[in-house]
Amino acid sequence: MADPRDDLDEWMNAQVQPLPPPPGTFELIRKRARRRKVTRAAVAAAGAAAVIAVIATVPRLVITQLNVGPGPAASGNAAGNTSSAGGNRQHTASASPSAVPSRSASASASALPPAPGNFQATSVTFVGLNTGFVLGQAGTPGQCGPPSRYICTSIAGTGDHGTTWHGVRAPVSGAPAGAAGVSQVRFYNTSDGWAFGPQLWATHDGGQTWTRIRTHGLRVTALEAAGQRVFAVWAQCSGGGPDFAADCTSSALYSASPGGDQWAPVPGAGTGYSLSGTAGSAALVLSPSRGYLLAPDGTLLSGPVASAGAWQPVTSTGTGSVSPSPGTASPSPAPCEPGPAQADGQPSGALLTGTTSSTLVLVCTSPATGATQAKQVYTSADDGQQWQKAGTAPAAGTATSVAGTATGTLVLATTAGLQVSTDGGASWAAVRGALPSGGFSYVGMTSANQGVAVPADVTQHAVWFTFDGGQSWHASPIP
Amino acid sequence: MDRLRTGDRAAAEELFNTCYPRLAGWVRRLVDDDDTAHEIAAEAFARLLGRWSRLENPQSYLYMIATNLVRDHWRKTGRERKALQAVQAGVPSDPSYQPAQDVHVRELLQTLPDRLRSAFLLHYYAGFPVRDVATMLGRPEGTIKADLFQARARLRAALGDTDG
Repeated sequence: MADPRDDLDEWMNAQVQPLPPPPGTFELIRKRARRRKVTRAAVAAAGAAAVIAVIATVPRLVITQLNVGPGPAASGNAAGNTSSAGGNRQHTASASPSAVPSRSASASASALPPAPGNFQATSVTFVGLNTGFVLGQAGTPGQCGPPSRYICTSIAGTGDHGTTWHGVRAPVSGAPAGAAGVSQVRFYNTSDGWAFGPQLWATHDGGQTWTRIRTHGLRVTALEAAGQRVFAVWAQCSGGGPDFAADCTSSALYSASPGGDQWAPVPGAGTGYSLSGTAGSAALVLSPSRGYLLAPDGTLLSGPVASAGAWQPVTSTGTGSVSPSPGTASPSPAPCEPGPAQADGQPSGALLTGTTSSTLVLVCTSPATGATQAKQVYTSADDGQQWQKAGTAPAAGTATSVAGTATGTLVLATTAGLQVSTDGGASWAAVRGALPSGGFSYVGMTSANQGVAVPADVTQHAVWFTFDGGQSWHASPIP
Repeated sequence: MDRLRTGDRAAAEELFNTCYPRLAGWVRRLVDDDDTAHEIAAEAFARLLGRWSRLENPQSYLYMIATNLVRDHWRKTGRERKALQAVQAGVPSDPSYQPAQDVHVRELLQTLPDRLRSAFLLHYYAGFPVRDVATMLGRPEGTIKADLFQARARLRAALGDTDG
């Protein structure tokens, strides 16, 4: 038995490591104190117990930031991603106007605040062909808010597929900085959405209010919603600054009902996956009926998205061209592992997406050599049991994201631009249009024809759209 | 609106600049993550500013408030964890919940009665002299010394039990 004094003395004698305040903390505190004084005065004057009750029940974490433009002094909450890597199937599913009611642009545009200036998009999401949200940083640090002048996270919304943009309330959380901040956005419908990476915030009123979800110190590196559930990868990471998803040594899959905030580990996939000390990432892809998680160790898990049922490793009988132990049923490893995370939390070594109901596409990348990178494309027509090499994508640029459509079209985003394939990854062609230098950090397909991409250079102040199945793309400036 | 006077604001800002990092760091050792630590530290300062003109020892008040907020946080997260355990019944424990280095002692601290825990945290961890702790808690110094002795004895006994 260890000497019990060791633990206690060590704990008591440990030096307290100072924790510097985030920018704007003092002003936030002053406003909070002032607000309470005003409230107390009002209550005292009115002598109304009902007023006290209202104040007492205001959740401290249900706070929002509304930065509206135009002008550098205004910061707008504009967060939203059409789809992230692996989210394209969700987009295809949610593009049905009957399943996901779209907001009336004409009715709401006149009453909505403008999108903020200097909008730097980092994530986009669409819940139909028309309605989407973009999340990013906007305005000028020190001149954003209220409530905080230094928190400039903003969301821009569109009700007309990017023709016009307006301001939407965003969570009061800064840009990613270690365990703090948000950088990504997903919406399940026009009411239920989440801002994440690394923190997790939820809205159930279309962004009017946001609630911080406790993650017990874990960082949310991926999130998708489809079927009747929302799923997220919660990871133990130590990356600092904007690299919130770096140095993750363990991850687990959590889920919740889209309309609620009761998150719980997914049975079979919520017990954590680690790489014996090696940092890794995970890829999450949802189809209308099934979900897929490419764990850090290369294990592919699958499970239902219509319920909170268990997920299980995909097994293989070993007859595929890329499969283990021929003739035996065993967990089917993917052709490559996710590897370290990119800045947005998505894997850098394995980009996963889906096309038809049971077809998965995996782009395996090698370490970049200068401005080029080897990119092998694999497909699986049986939910990941067996993988076949489909082709090789152009070497130019570093791959960042891949998206597929129900008709089989694939769009690959790289730091050199966008490539499109209409034959399952066997051949690729550069897309048409005026594209930004630096390429794209994300691409998602909302339908067979429509898709959206986020430029790697956030100072483009725009996202790019396609309406012809990824063949040509054009910029949609925000605001 | 009852705003802080200019002089008060400067003094409050100076106290904030001086005390916040250590207060937040102190809270951080008692909670799960940086965000919660900042939340509690900021809330303690907000409550302090609300009573600024009526306080003789703002720093003591800060730590008292933070101690109470940490206690509330422990109670709340305790309920959350119990609910989570119920959900996870039959499911292997989640190894992603890696305990912090000092989580063991922290959990034992949560089992102490409020009377012992407050004195222990303020004296041994926040570093206040027994006399200040006595003033902060409104109890005689002798009582505080007895509470500290009892708290240490209970913690060591608990550590011995769990280690064995």
